[in-house]
Amino acid sequence: MSSSKPKLCNETHFKAFYLDHIQAVSNFAYYKCGDNAAALDFVQDAFAKIWENCAKIDFSKAKTYLFTTVNNLFLNTVRHQKVVLSYAKASPYLDKTNQNPEYLLEEEEFKKKLQSVIADLSDDQREVFLLNRIEDKKYREIAELLDISQKTVEKRMSGALKVLREKLGHENF
Amino acid sequence: MNKENDILKWFNGELSTEEIKKLYPNEDLTALEKSRFYSRQLEAPKVDAQKALADFRKRNSKKEDTKVIPLNFKSFLKIAAVLVLMLSASYFLFFNNEKSFATEIAQTEILNLPDNSEVILNAKSNLSFNKKSWKKNRLLELDGEAFFKVSKGEQFTVKTDAGDVKVLGTQFNVKERDNYFEVKCYEGLVSVTHKEKVKMINPGETFRVVNGTIVNVEKFNTKNPAWLSKESSFDKVPLWQVIDELEIQYDINISAEDIETTTMFSGSFTHTDKNIALQSVTIPLNLSYKINGNQVELYSYGSQ
Repeated sequence: MSSSKPKLCNETHFKAFYLDHIQAVSNFAYYKCGDNAAALDFVQDAFAKIWENCAKIDFSKAKTYLFTTVNNLFLNTVRHQKVVLSYAKASPYLDKTNQNPEYLLEEEEFKKKLQSVIADLSDDQREVFLLNRIEDKKYREIAELLDISQKTVEKRMSGALKVLREKLGHENF
Repeated sequence: MNKENDILKWFNGELSTEEIKKLYPNEDLTALEKSRFYSRQLEAPKVDAQKALADFRKRNSKKEDTKVIPLNFKSFLKIAAVLVLMLSASYFLFFNNEKSFATEIAQTEILNLPDNSEVILNAKSNLSFNKKSWKKNRLLELDGEAFFKVSKGEQFTVKTDAGDVKVLGTQFNVKERDNYFEVKCYEGLVSVTHKEKVKMINPGETFRVVNGTIVNVEKFNTKNPAWLSKESSFDKVPLWQVIDELEIQYDINISAEDIETTTMFSGSFTHTDKNIALQSVTIPLNLSYKINGNQVELYSYGSQ
């Protein structure tokens, strides 16, 4: 049984692990620092740490270890850029049937505003919010990834939503 | 609180937009709805996973080159060599049971043995014993002259090239120089083994061998050897032996080519003044001397 369990120190297993998670963890790193190159650097550092300690890390825990390592690496870097994410091209509007140019303009305005509000969220709030929104992760999954409690995740999410409501409330539109 | 929870549930996919709107018909949820919808369309930069992996491999292997130190057998050997050196050095330092003492010309030394016996080593002498076996066997090796005050106990043996001196507890002097062997007993009873013959010596008696022949010596009644009070005392001793002693005590070279060195000498000389010492040896024998640095020449009045 145990022999079939994937081992991190095994080159092919590690390669699979790397390819499985590189995008997700890079996204996560990007949500935190907003700099693609820097994010990738951190991610590579985290993978290197896992490779060095491969004997000590259980395969099932490796993903959490990866995310928390990236998280910790960020704690050591004080400065980071404004995190401005772009929208996917050719994405639909909320009201798909409404083709009124005024409506479309309004929605574009909102999207721009949303970008900057997200950029202004605190790091903790933004990473939880984006993991939930972009990565479509449940609070429980985020808690597991970051090795924090679900309550903490919900608190951060709730804080993020509060900021969004305040800054994007209807009186602004 | 409940509303907040429900909104959280809505974002977590546990409630649909219709449900939340039904639950809170009076709440304006437009901003959240829009945020919820449009944030879903946000994208993080795409990572080229294969390229990243290749980069990772490159830097990782580079790292390994510098970081991984192979178990170096050489360093093991180095450590082992140092350990062996330290062990053997400490063995010789701490477990070397051979104790030896030596005196130079014109030097005496007082030694205390492990059993509280006292040894006074005269000039140019060598004494050694084994510390470990000392308890079982009080055995000393002597080359030169020494005075022993032996505390009571098991047999106490002084080994010399000329013979062994054995006692139980006493005071005695052993003098073993070239062609000269002398044991004087000051207290107790001393047994001397010389050429497989055993001779018992009582206090005041002397056992003397000159050039291999045993010489009868009159009894003495001093308590200690004269050399302990910085004097060398002789009692019918051939002159060459007196000259030897002078050389040892004063670090001089004495030449006595024209005189008869087998002449017997009785008397003493001090260890503190070279001239007085030379005079006290030469005058009784009708000799004179010349000092030239370390060289001293003895001659008789007649020949000069």
